[in-house]
Amino acid sequence: MATILRNVDLSVAAGESVGLFGANGAGKTTLLRVIGTLLRPSSGRALVLGADLDGWERFDIRPRLGLIGHTPALYPELSLLANLEFSARITGAPIEEAGRALEAVGLGAAAQRLAGEASFGMQRRVEFAREIMLSPDLLLLDEPHSALDPSAVELVEHIVAGVLERSGAVVLASHDVDRVASMVTRTAELTGGSLDA
Amino acid sequence: MPDRFWHQTAAIARRDLDRERRSGEVAWITIPFGAIALLLVPLAVGINQDVLSRIGTGMLFVVVMLFGVLTAVRRTNMETPAQRDAIALLGVDPVAEFAGKAMASAVLLLVFEVLMGVVALTLYGLDISEWGWMTLVLPLTAIGLAELGTISGAIATSINAGPALVPLLVTPLAIPLLLGATQTVELGRDGGNLSWLLLMAAVVLSLAIVGVLTARPLQETR
Amino acid sequence: MTSRIRSHWLDVAAAVAVIVGFVFAVASPRIATQGDAARMLFVHVPSIWLAYLSFTVTFIASVAYLFTRKLHWDLIAGSSGEIGVAFTSVAVIGGMIWGKATWNVYWTWDARLTLTAIMLFVYIGYLALRRAIPDPEARARRSAVLGIVGLVQLIPVHFSVTWWRTLHQTNTFRPRDIQMDGPILAALLVSVGAFTVVYVALLRHRYELARLEVEALEGAVAVSGPVAGDAVTAPTIGSGG
Repeated sequence: MATILRNVDLSVAAGESVGLFGANGAGKTTLLRVIGTLLRPSSGRALVLGADLDGWERFDIRPRLGLIGHTPALYPELSLLANLEFSARITGAPIEEAGRALEAVGLGAAAQRLAGEASFGMQRRVEFAREIMLSPDLLLLDEPHSALDPSAVELVEHIVAGVLERSGAVVLASHDVDRVASMVTRTAELTGGSLDA
Repeated sequence: MPDRFWHQTAAIARRDLDRERRSGEVAWITIPFGAIALLLVPLAVGINQDVLSRIGTGMLFVVVMLFGVLTAVRRTNMETPAQRDAIALLGVDPVAEFAGKAMASAVLLLVFEVLMGVVALTLYGLDISEWGWMTLVLPLTAIGLAELGTISGAIATSINAGPALVPLLVTPLAIPLLLGATQTVELGRDGGNLSWLLLMAAVVLSLAIVGVLTARPLQETR
Repeated sequence: MTSRIRSHWLDVAAAVAVIVGFVFAVASPRIATQGDAARMLFVHVPSIWLAYLSFTVTFIASVAYLFTRKLHWDLIAGSSGEIGVAFTSVAVIGGMIWGKATWNVYWTWDARLTLTAIMLFVYIGYLALRRAIPDPEARARRSAVLGIVGLVQLIPVHFSVTWWRTLHQTNTFRPRDIQMDGPILAALLVSVGAFTVVYVALLRHRYELARLEVEALEGAVAVSGPVAGDAVTAPTIGSGG
């Protein structure tokens, strides 16, 4: 088991948007996944939304988290709308919200297109739509600008602003400081697994 | 069980069946492949009708076991790491995920079994006088195989050798189901098959318990 | 040093136990109906006993791992599983040799033989799963589940000679009905004891090897400074987990 992160001391308050920067291989994705409760830290202590990541309560906070990672998580055999409707059914959100969220990201006309036939950018928009629909308290974004056109970039800014307005928080990982500077209130840099916040 | 558990179970089952409906892997690959296997056996052992009618029920269940396992490794039952992360963050109850996936697989397996039964009846000239027991045997086999496939699929997910490994994991563990199924039908006429039926029920129940108890550790990515 | 001395004494004890077992086996009375072929008893029965023991240890260690998440439990489970597969193979092959001498066939579709062979395949699958997952934590969690499921096979294997009318003789050890001459029973018990000591010694060595493998893996990828390879895209951690 490799040691990927060490000496990470980070706190994020409600209403904050933290930019996590670092070169490729620095551990940004790993840190996001730890915060997202998908990886358990092997040592140290982590509290996310009041839940200790080493305990069972980390499962309870998951519905309050949102993560948009490197790779889209859509089911290629299902339509864009069906993918969102699945998320709605799982979380108990009204089914109609799926269609509304898809409209909000400009994909209303492509609702029936199969996710496997949609472009990477379209799939990313669907994931943004999911986060709009689910309104997470803590949003984690991994290289959100990757392969996005300018209007999609605006969408990211809109989503981040929405979370902060609800007194949520955002942690945004990127190696491109310039592109995300306008969306963050604070920065932290990961160098070789160590954090300089 | 709270409503949310059943809603999530139904949503997972519906997702898997929708994905399968679109991809058609079971309909267009697994079912024809199973039918070909049933066709191959008489070509190999000779077309003596007495022999075929004696081995036919057994061959039916062998094909169900071996090819039914393919439903566990169908592409629409496997998930990418990103999809698994997304499912976890949606707050899916791991037991609901196990139950939903097993339910979808059981439906597909039941359809597969019925169609293979029709093929076997046609090709092997089987005596169906005791096939009333099939109304119990087929669902039990489908559920047991579905549970095994779901557990094994979760164990082997995201491993490069996963699709090759799952059949190796499932098939030996499915043998009590094979024995129970064939013996229940073959002994139906003479009686004494209730113990085999009970064996199948015990296997199905045990696998359900194991699936429930191991659902959470298997959902974790690390 | 203490650990090495302990290991050394275990090896010595195992060697002595094997020699003693061999002596008892050779010196035990000849069974009239089967002749010297029946001395396979002193290998076959202890082998299957070790298989039961090994897979039970795998089960217990697997449960312990899932509860504690301590990797050493997984290393014990995996090591015991390997030993179990080896001795199940010995039991099956030994049984085939004995069967040829007794029933004049190497194989018959007897319930005990068949279910034992199936148990062997279940645990070969267990080992195959472990080989397919390089990451120790992911391997531990997944194989723990299979280690628990696999134990279910032991029940029909053990009771097969009771549940079905089989060619294989009934269970050798039945506390209320031991139908075996005293000297032969003594030799058998010594063999079982010897094999058990061998199991403990093998388990210790295999566990040590597994522990060193994990340490070597951690050492090979550990970094003491900045992560090398800035040009390499960060891996998606958890793709094997």
